[in-house]
Amino acid sequence: MHDLIIDETKYTPYIKLDATNGIIEIKGKSYPENTFEFYKPMMNWVEDFFNSDRKEKTLVNLEIIYFNSSSSKLFFDFFDLLEEAHNKGKEIEINWIYHSDNESALEAGEDFKEDFLELNFNLVEK
Amino acid sequence: MNIKMIQDIVEEDGILFLTYGGFISQSLISSMMEALEKEAEQNNLNLGISSNIFTIFIELTQNMMNYSKSKNLEYDENSPEGLILVTKDIDDCYYIHSQNIITEDDKNRIEPKLEKIVDMSKEEIKKEYRLLRKSGKDSHGKGAGIGFYEIAKRSDGIKFEFNKITDEKYYFHFISKIKTNKEK
Repeated sequence: MHDLIIDETKYTPYIKLDATNGIIEIKGKSYPENTFEFYKPMMNWVEDFFNSDRKEKTLVNLEIIYFNSSSSKLFFDFFDLLEEAHNKGKEIEINWIYHSDNESALEAGEDFKEDFLELNFNLVEK
Repeated sequence: MNIKMIQDIVEEDGILFLTYGGFISQSLISSMMEALEKEAEQNNLNLGISSNIFTIFIELTQNMMNYSKSKNLEYDENSPEGLILVTKDIDDCYYIHSQNIITEDDKNRIEPKLEKIVDMSKEEIKKEYRLLRKSGKDSHGKGAGIGFYEIAKRSDGIKFEFNKITDEKYYFHFISKIKTNKEK
């Protein structure tokens, strides 16, 4: 499986999908003009990745500073994919990284954690 | 666009530091976001509060970009234009105003939704937001259908009004208030 890197822009985050080491990283702001289209390559990659027969643990690092409502829905769908993979026996650890001064990002992380109780979901203060 | 309206707003709120009227594009939104980020930085705004302001601004401008109509075009032909203002009063409360033209059908769709939100408590808004996000009920091509909930959950009050232009079109004026003098 190939790696996929999407560079950061003024309104979309840096995305690194590292199949070799099993690391998924999303970092930055997220308010694309068309969110679902923008994240499509990432979502397809994630689906394929968890359909492969990889056994090692996957690490997911998310550091989203702020985002629009369609990105919020997209992240929900992303965690849904992760939960599906988890239920099929994949080991996944999620780090929701937020700045200590950003209680809005913390609250967003808390809500996702509560919506996906099955997942190993850490809130990590930076 | 209505200059008198801008004057009235400035008189009421105090300081006006960002205003734009005309065509709206994604790159224009991100340039205005840079100005907002600068303002937040200069005022040492807490990151949580500034990210609320940023998100509300993005929701309102992207709404205008995706759904605005024009006075002169066919009934439901899109025209990405509108008026956006960010002001601040002497208590450092921020106000984000947006005004754009919508069809009567859109008004009939938005108005009951907003009336419902205005009557809800913050806790109820947060709960409904998560329910809608989970069900994907209002999702469509470009949005998740939770934009107004996103705005309301990050605001310290919202206001709106519809002003009739013709039988079929309305000005939609929306105001979000964000307090900054919260206890941490």
